[in-house]
Amino acid sequence: MKYALFIAVKDLIYFFRSRFALIAFIIMPVFMMLMTGYMFPKMQSNKNMSIVVFSHDKGFVNMIRDSEVEGFTFVESEKELREYLIEEKADAGMIVPENFLKSVLVNKEVAVKIIPSPSNPQMAMSASQGVMTTLGSSLGGSKSQIEVKLENPSGGEFNYYSFMAPGIMAMVAIMSVVNGLAAAITMEKEKGTMDGIMTTPIPRSSIIIGKVLSQTTRGLLQAIVILLLAIFLFGVSIEGSLILTFFLLILGIFSFIGIGIIITAGAPDQESSQMILTSITFPMLFLSGVFFPVEQMPTFMQYLSKAFPLTFAADALRKVMIMGASLSSIRVDVIALTIFAVVTLLLAVPLFSRLTTT
Amino acid sequence: MEEIVIEARNLTKQFKQVLAVDNVSFRVKKGEIFGLLGPNGAGKSTTIRMLTALTKPTDGKAFINGYDVVKEAKMVRKNIGLVSEKIILYDRLTAMENLMFFAKLNNMNTKKAKKRCNKLLEMVEMTEWKNTRVSRFSTGMKQRINVIRSLLHDPEIIFLDEPTLGLDPQTTRSIREFIRELNEQGKTIVLTTHIMVEADNLSDRIAIIDHGKIAAMDTSKNLKRMIDNNETSIIDLDIPNITNPMLSTINELHCVEKVFNKNSEEIRIYMNCDDPLEILITLLKENNIPVKGIKTVEPTLEDVFIKLTGHEMRDNPGKQAENRFENRRIR
Repeated sequence: MKYALFIAVKDLIYFFRSRFALIAFIIMPVFMMLMTGYMFPKMQSNKNMSIVVFSHDKGFVNMIRDSEVEGFTFVESEKELREYLIEEKADAGMIVPENFLKSVLVNKEVAVKIIPSPSNPQMAMSASQGVMTTLGSSLGGSKSQIEVKLENPSGGEFNYYSFMAPGIMAMVAIMSVVNGLAAAITMEKEKGTMDGIMTTPIPRSSIIIGKVLSQTTRGLLQAIVILLLAIFLFGVSIEGSLILTFFLLILGIFSFIGIGIIITAGAPDQESSQMILTSITFPMLFLSGVFFPVEQMPTFMQYLSKAFPLTFAADALRKVMIMGASLSSIRVDVIALTIFAVVTLLLAVPLFSRLTTT
Repeated sequence: MEEIVIEARNLTKQFKQVLAVDNVSFRVKKGEIFGLLGPNGAGKSTTIRMLTALTKPTDGKAFINGYDVVKEAKMVRKNIGLVSEKIILYDRLTAMENLMFFAKLNNMNTKKAKKRCNKLLEMVEMTEWKNTRVSRFSTGMKQRINVIRSLLHDPEIIFLDEPTLGLDPQTTRSIREFIRELNEQGKTIVLTTHIMVEADNLSDRIAIIDHGKIAAMDTSKNLKRMIDNNETSIIDLDIPNITNPMLSTINELHCVEKVFNKNSEEIRIYMNCDDPLEILITLLKENNIPVKGIKTVEPTLEDVFIKLTGHEMRDNPGKQAENRFENRRIR
């Protein structure tokens, strides 16, 4: 037992001697507390919720307009409804079937579909309740025959996982690339093989670009594995273009890789670089909207989430994969990711070259 | 006129706390084997890293074939090959894959690179292992591949940082022979080592380096003459049970310069007088010190090192000669 104690004490001393480890050790729990404290907000009231409606039943449109119910926006087609959701002009969508009013009048069973927003699928649940009440009150008590169905944009029963899969895919690709890059560079430094590369007359930037290429390939392969698992195990489908999906994945990787390079080049050893990376990627997991919709967070955390490129990558991927968004409707995300990528890489490549020659 | 291919001018490297290399200057002629001899941490590797453009000097300049190591690093790299202390090979790649990778970084086309690799593999008798992963090699085999890796682009100057560190005697011998062969082919070689014999046998000239400074630089012969000229005699005594009073008795003798314990039964005495043996024997008799054997020895580089630096060559250069119950000499 006393030997176990010696080992424990030695381990603790060893751990606390690393300055970086110590910083991460303090930051991590602070972040954890803040995150869990603010992440789950009070339930939002349905009043200020906006729902975009496409109705096959023109009578229903006129009826709602006449009774001046707030929060409904009417569009002319399902396509338009999707555009509304993609561009975040509405919190959820609703599709009303033909002969809706007629069916209600004869007390026949009838269903309206609620389409969740890609950026905030949780909202759809409150939306369906809200719609139920609103319809009930405007149609005068016959709500018992109206069914509200949550559906995936592509049809079929609502599948929450299909809203998470794109984000998880982006997250895994980005994280594995950045971690892999850090490991690959520090390994070469520590094993001494970096010296071998550096004594050949190649430009310094080739080293880092080569590393980025290999890690990106690896990250994409991993993303494909997740995609296949999502499709075959969880029945997720891809609505949008595959090319656009992979373009976004690559852009997502490039938007974050510069940050990884800067950390790796600056950190004294592998342990420290891993620690610093973790203290960035860990809050990123929670803040980037992969697991919890960004819109549900308090305002300051919504702003904070914009500091992580993953937020934009996950958002764009969700819109493309779930709603079949086109490049032009996700331009804001694409521009943000491009700025992240260009700025960090412009900083990182020369910095890497300089730091490796001292 | 002899061509100077390496020139270090007041090279200095300051790390955060340590002055690793302190104002070092030397020149190496074409076709020479130049040895940097010194204990671990003396600044040998840092000097090599500056000359191979891996580390920028804090102060001073260095030129390889006339190219500035800081300003013309790319040209410097074309002219040099490096065998560093760590083996520069990828474990999970085969010998051939490793060599081809580095050949291609040196801008060789596939055909030329293959030919060169095969030729080099043959030179070190590793042809039959070329498609085996490096992780399955012994340290000796790895080092052989590591050495030819530095020769892929046929550089004029080869830097070898402790090339025989951790190798078995047989591989050590073959690596040394290979170094000599390379030199005969006209390569200029800079070799660092903490092994006296290695520096002595291989180098045309030796710089003895300690605490980041060059203590002396000359041919092995001339370095040893520093001791002969001073008329210092080196005598080894074989005493079964050495006691401290015995040591102080010997130490107090007027012409004794230094006394070292080589091991528990042997001491080495540096004396400076006309007839050291006779004086010593008289002293031993008078004090009843039982001696099993007595002999004079030719000076070695280690003696030169001790003479110059005042301490033995060991892993920690900071330790002074008082800690002397260890014999690091390799015969």
